Amino acid sequence: MMDQMPTILMLAPFIGAVGLSLLAWRRPAAAMPVVFGALAITVLAAVLTLREVLANGTITYLLSGWDRLPERAAGMAVGIEYKIDAFNALVLVLIPAIALINALYLRTRLAVECAGKEILYAILYLLLVVGLCGMVITNDAFNLYVLLEISSLTSYALIGIGRRRAAHATFNYIMTGTIGASFFLLGVGYLYIQVGTLNIGDIHEALMASSELRELASIKVAAMMIMAGLWLKMGLFPLHGWLPNAYRYAPTATGSLMAPLVTKVMVVVMLRMMVSLFGLDYLFAELNWRPVIVGIACVAILAGSFFALAQRDIRGMLCFLIVAEVGYMVGGAWLGNEAGITGAAYHVLSDACMTFCLFLAVAAIILRTGEHRLSAFRGAFRKMPVAMAAFTVGALSMVGLPPTCGFFSKWYLLIGGVEAGQWHYVACLLISSLVNAVLFFRIFEIALMKVEVEESGSFDVDALPEDPEDRWERVPVGTIVAMIVAATAVLTIGLLNRPIASFIATWIGQAVEVAP
Amino acid sequence: MIWQLDLILLIFLVITALISLRVRDLLGASMVFGIYSFLICLLWAGMGAVDVAFTEAAVGAGVSTVILVATVYHTRRVTGGHKRASGMKVLSLLLMLVLGGVLLHASGDFPALGDPTSPANDHPVAQYYIEGSYQDTKVPNLVTSVLADYRGYDTLFETVVVFVAGIGILAVIGVPTARMRREEVCGDTAQFGEDSDLIILQTCRLVVPVLQLFALYVIAHGHHSPGGGFQGGVLFGASYILLALSGGLREALRRLSESMSFRLAACGIVIYAGFGLLCMALGSSFLDYAILDSILPGGVAMARSHSMLIVEAGVGFTVTTILFVIYANLATRGKLEGGL
Amino acid sequence: MELLTLTAQFEWILGKSNYWASTVLLLIGLHAMISKNNLIKKLIGMSIFQTGIILFYVSAGAKHGAQIPIVHYGHDSHESHDKAAHAAEHAADAGQQVAEAAAPAANHAANHAADATHTLGETLYVNPLPHVLMLTAIVVGVATLGLALAMVQKVYAAYGSIEEDEVLDAIADSTADSTVDSTVDRTVKGTPEA
Repeated sequence: MMDQMPTILMLAPFIGAVGLSLLAWRRPAAAMPVVFGALAITVLAAVLTLREVLANGTITYLLSGWDRLPERAAGMAVGIEYKIDAFNALVLVLIPAIALINALYLRTRLAVECAGKEILYAILYLLLVVGLCGMVITNDAFNLYVLLEISSLTSYALIGIGRRRAAHATFNYIMTGTIGASFFLLGVGYLYIQVGTLNIGDIHEALMASSELRELASIKVAAMMIMAGLWLKMGLFPLHGWLPNAYRYAPTATGSLMAPLVTKVMVVVMLRMMVSLFGLDYLFAELNWRPVIVGIACVAILAGSFFALAQRDIRGMLCFLIVAEVGYMVGGAWLGNEAGITGAAYHVLSDACMTFCLFLAVAAIILRTGEHRLSAFRGAFRKMPVAMAAFTVGALSMVGLPPTCGFFSKWYLLIGGVEAGQWHYVACLLISSLVNAVLFFRIFEIALMKVEVEESGSFDVDALPEDPEDRWERVPVGTIVAMIVAATAVLTIGLLNRPIASFIATWIGQAVEVAP
Repeated sequence: MIWQLDLILLIFLVITALISLRVRDLLGASMVFGIYSFLICLLWAGMGAVDVAFTEAAVGAGVSTVILVATVYHTRRVTGGHKRASGMKVLSLLLMLVLGGVLLHASGDFPALGDPTSPANDHPVAQYYIEGSYQDTKVPNLVTSVLADYRGYDTLFETVVVFVAGIGILAVIGVPTARMRREEVCGDTAQFGEDSDLIILQTCRLVVPVLQLFALYVIAHGHHSPGGGFQGGVLFGASYILLALSGGLREALRRLSESMSFRLAACGIVIYAGFGLLCMALGSSFLDYAILDSILPGGVAMARSHSMLIVEAGVGFTVTTILFVIYANLATRGKLEGGL
Repeated sequence: MELLTLTAQFEWILGKSNYWASTVLLLIGLHAMISKNNLIKKLIGMSIFQTGIILFYVSAGAKHGAQIPIVHYGHDSHESHDKAAHAAEHAADAGQQVAEAAAPAANHAANHAADATHTLGETLYVNPLPHVLMLTAIVVGVATLGLALAMVQKVYAAYGSIEEDEVLDAIADSTADSTVDSTVDRTVKGTPEA
């Protein structure tokens, strides 16, 4: 039973979704219980898998039962397989956990934001989790593409289900997302035509074994296309155009699910491609892209931070902060040293949690006060203590103050930057922390002092809600619990940064060792 | 591979692609796009990719064109006369040139087309598929055996993609209240296609049953000839679309209502995943059909063959119903009344 | 640098023709997606883009003189390629017939049914793996197209146009006029306007 855990992890939300379609088509009341149940099982399976990896190292699971060919030393994969190593296992716990906690918030919004379509939303929600987990767990490049498309399609629908303004934003998202996924597919195709297999481990070995292969232009172009596709999907500046509008106009429960997860999973895939498929040696010794990419990341960090400062509505501000965070992770990963990659990987976990925390808190505040601009924070510390506490934790993490996880991830990234001699990256990290500090302390000021806020600047009325009846008298219990859990996670991951980081380092170490 | 034919087809492909993008009548553009799909399908058939050609003909040339036309019908037929800021066009052209240069440069070291000793064709795994798959699975159609057995996990998710598309379209434009009404009204006893054109009606009445039989044949015979769950499912779904086009959507809905469609679609996926779970329950890993030889007759290889047939049938269920639902929603803007 | 003869050059071009065509189609589609104003044209461009990529993969698996990937059962299906023979003959041929291989007949599996065990006509089969992948890609493409068309309908319902510039203008108008109350939208949440 234990060794079937990875499949159970993938199948639980899957069966939940399919079961809803089969048995509960006309019963909207069934939506939430099934979502909770399926995600709870998934989290459990993920935790058990993590325990297994902690105890026994990397797990490989062969689907369809095909053994590797006895031919070469390690054999070649005939079918598709899962590979769960240190970093994967952590991310696999993160994804369903966030989805589950978000479901507590979702419960209060489902009937309002998606009247008549609850079952559809729940099905899409569960299948998004399946897609994200599947991307992380697989060891086959084409399978990754298929699951990438599942996450993409479900996310298009989850955003498009929203109101009128979401229509155009979703269309743009579809265009950009398809270009990204197709670039990824093309890159995999270029690899395939030169190597002949789709299994990530086998491709890596083939690349390691033959230096003529590594020198081919088509492999370089393959790497370029794969990276470009992933950057489009994760919203690296200047390819981020779709992101702010898509997350702003989505139904709020979608926003708080997708903002923490989708871009981060794309970063996880990028790290996977870098470490497990191409290999750090090839990317950094033979192709010398580091200066360019770290440069782009720096621009992304600065652009994201300054645009965030310029936003008048809260959710837009958070969206641009996400853009900046993506810059942190891409820059950190492309520093190329162990500290940088560990930092980027750890930042995936920490950013997911703090973004989640912030989005939840902001959603609660907007719904309680009915305003979407900074004026919503007036007097919030007194009116909504729990939400503001969660918001504070998230904000401090964004700025980078201990003991929140944001501090530690910045710390690793800074060390990586210094070690690699990329001083501009270090400078951008520090500047961005300052800008975040300005941003958030301004909000704290409004929240504490009841300062009058200027309502200047263009603002999109259509951007949000709700008519006056759709306001909360009190924040529902479920949402309060969700916020508390999210804030606790931010602190816990921060306090556990040592063990987590060294665990991640084992992954990097293992991957580097495989190369002969 | 007849290189002369290939070259001619390639040239025509580029031409039709350009035409379909230049034409101002959107209905015409969709039609030319259908021609493009057919041509590319011929190209693939010429290269020996018969299953791919079959799927492209059914899905690309058939369904895509129909749903494009349905959307054009509900939006606007003619475009043009708008001058987009030429800055964007210039920037885009520059970008295309750069990208084109990079990609063409990369193609310099590709193995030549059709080389049996290229890394992809010569790879041990590809060899194994060709040499060992009949022994392992008793299925002559290599594409089916790789699709449904060796890479069966991918196919499961491909089916889920189709399912998500159906759910997503319903979620995005479906109108719940109108839908409930429609389901009730469909019980009434209107005459079949009372307001349709006589010739179309009668011809389609003859074609639909044949189409459905053929679809079932394609699914069942997918082990021995080009075909399989997807292609057969698309054909079956197309038969319902044909019914809707000729006799009115109401008629098609009477025979296959929307809630039934989604239930059947879910059934299809349940069959597929259920088989995988069955394998797990019997002690092996997910989708390892070999273990099923304890309940299916004929030995390990035949167990795989039978399982493949059953999961292909599951795929067929899902594809049929979802394609019909996609058409129904797109053709009526989600309200399930009126339509093309 | 050796000068290739005319036929050798032509052979070289033929060996790349599909890949070049795939790149051209890809670029045509991508350009349409980015620069066209009409949403439906963008989607047609998207489909062309995707078929370009599919053409690339299918070309990767093609082999001269190969059979479609359906083995002739009733014979043993052990095929193997004689690599040396192929490499030598390949450069000059276009459309050569079946290539013979010299591998001996291999063992039968124990569970062959009552098939007569013929010795093999060694035939060359097209690589089935790219075909499998592209079946999936086609299906994914049409799924995306369907969803995107639904969004086009929604955009049209919301703004009355499917030209990008008109839609952006409509959005800007509804923003500028901050007293506009989108009451039309408020009545039934989550459903599009009729």
